Amino acid sequence: MKRKVVAIAVATAFFSLPLAAAPFAYITNQLDDSISIIDAKQGKVVDTIAVHGKPAGVAVAPAGDKVYISTPEAKGLAVLDTKKREVIAKVSVSDGALGIAVSADGERIYVADWYNNNVDIIDADSLKVIKTIAVGESPSGLVVSPDDRWLYVANRLSDSVSKIDLNTMSIDKVTIVGSHPFGLTIDDMGERLYIANVQSDDVTVLETRSMQPIATIKVNTQPYASALALNDTRLFVTNQDDSSVSVIDTTTLKEIGLIEVGNKPEGINTHPDDRHVYVANWFDSTVSVIDAKTMQVIDTIKTGKGSRAFGQFFSK
Amino acid sequence: MKKITLFLSVLLFFFTAIASAHGPVRQKAEEQITINAPAEKVWSIIKNFGDMSWHPDIFNTTSEGGDKKGATRILTFKDGGTITEELKKYDEAKMSYAYKITDMSTAKTITHAGVEEKVPVLPVDNYSATIEVESKGDTSVVNWTAGYYRAYTNNNPPAEMNEEAANAAVNAVLKTGLINLKALAEK
Repeated sequence: MKRKVVAIAVATAFFSLPLAAAPFAYITNQLDDSISIIDAKQGKVVDTIAVHGKPAGVAVAPAGDKVYISTPEAKGLAVLDTKKREVIAKVSVSDGALGIAVSADGERIYVADWYNNNVDIIDADSLKVIKTIAVGESPSGLVVSPDDRWLYVANRLSDSVSKIDLNTMSIDKVTIVGSHPFGLTIDDMGERLYIANVQSDDVTVLETRSMQPIATIKVNTQPYASALALNDTRLFVTNQDDSSVSVIDTTTLKEIGLIEVGNKPEGINTHPDDRHVYVANWFDSTVSVIDAKTMQVIDTIKTGKGSRAFGQFFSK
Repeated sequence: MKKITLFLSVLLFFFTAIASAHGPVRQKAEEQITINAPAEKVWSIIKNFGDMSWHPDIFNTTSEGGDKKGATRILTFKDGGTITEELKKYDEAKMSYAYKITDMSTAKTITHAGVEEKVPVLPVDNYSATIEVESKGDTSVVNWTAGYYRAYTNNNPPAEMNEEAANAAVNAVLKTGLINLKALAEK
C-alpha cells in the first residue's frame, strides 16, 4: 500500500512537472474563435482550444490555473481551465466586452464594456458582477496596480484615463492623455503608467499618484499596447500600422530601437524570465518572440487567424 | 415533431439575432494572383503610388508626395465617389507598399435606429492594405491584403454597414484589381 502511494506521488510529481516548468502564452485568435496555447520552452503551439464569440482580451489568473478571455460577440467572458485545457464557464457581462484584467490576489476580474462605457467588477469565485462603474467612452485597456488598490482604464473615445479606487469602487481621477488611448502598462512599483495612444502615434507616461503626465513619447503608426522588460528598464510598444515594435528606454524616455515584426502587431506581453517579449501579429497569425536585450526577433510562432491577445497572456 | 422544429427555428432565429448584434471585430481580406510575367514588369505597373490607373474601377488618381511615406492620393471612381489614401510604408527592394484610407466620400445616406448614417464609398472603417509582388522566376505572385472594420462603429449595424457588406466590397476591389493587373502585365 505504501509503495502504491509513493508511486502515485511520484507519478503526480512527474505529470505536474511540465506544467510548472514551462510558462505558457495564451493567444486569442479572434477570427478563428480559438486560443493557441504556446509552450514558451518548446517555442510552439501545444494546444488549440475553441472559444466562441471572437475572443479578444486575455488575463491569466496569478495562480496560472485559469485564463479569463473576453468574447465580444458572446457579450461576456469565458473561463479557461489551464489544467483541463477547456472552457469551464461562460459569463454574460455586457454588450461589448473587450479589455480584461485580473487582480493580483486573483479574487476579482475586471471587464471593460466598449459600448456601454463602464467597467464590471466580477467576483472570480462566484463569477457574479459585484459592481458596475461608469467610465469614459469606449473603455479599452485595463490595468490593476500591483497592490490591488487602483484600477486604470483607457477611455478610447474620451482620450482619457480613469483611475478607480478599488476600496470605494469609485472614480478617483480622470486625466486627459493622447488621442485614442488603448493599451495600458504599469510598472512593478505601480508608480508609472504607460499609455499607447492609437491616433496620436505616441505613448503617454503618467505618474500614477498625481495622475500627471511625465512625458509623451513619439512612436510609430497606431501604437496598440506595450510591455515592460529587463527590470522595467525598457518598454516595448506594438505599432499596428508599421509592423514594428518601438523600444523605449524608461530612464531617458526616448525611443532607442525599432524592431520589425509581423503584420498588424497587437497584443504584447513579457515572458516571466523578464527578457523575452511576445508579440501577437494579427494579420500574419503569428507570434514574434523578441529578445529584449539584443532587440532582435529570435523566433516566430504560427498561431491561429487574427491573433490579438490583448492583455496579460503569460502564465507565471 | 412539428413543435420541436418550430422551437428549434425560433431558437436558431434567436441565436442569429444575437450573433449579428455584436461589437466590431477587425476583418481581413487576402487576394493572390499568379501572373505569367516577371516581377519587375508587374511592379512597374503598380509601383507609382500616385497612379492607380491599373485598377478598372478607378477613373482618376491625383497625388502628392510621390512614393515617400506620408504621400497621399485621391482615387476617383467612375461614379464620382472618392477615397483618400496615405502611404504608410514603401519598400522598393521588396516590391511592396502599405497604405491607409484617411477619408472617403459618402455613397448614400440611410436612416438606421432613428439616426442618419452616411455609408462611405467603401463600407469600411480604419482600412489599411498592403500590396506586394513576389518574384517566381519568369512568373510572379501578387499578394494584396487588407485589414479593416465594418463601417458602422456602434452596436447593431444596418445591412449596408455590417461585416458582410464590408467583406464583399473589399474582396471585390482586390479581385477586380488583380485580374486587371494580370491582364495588363501579360499583354
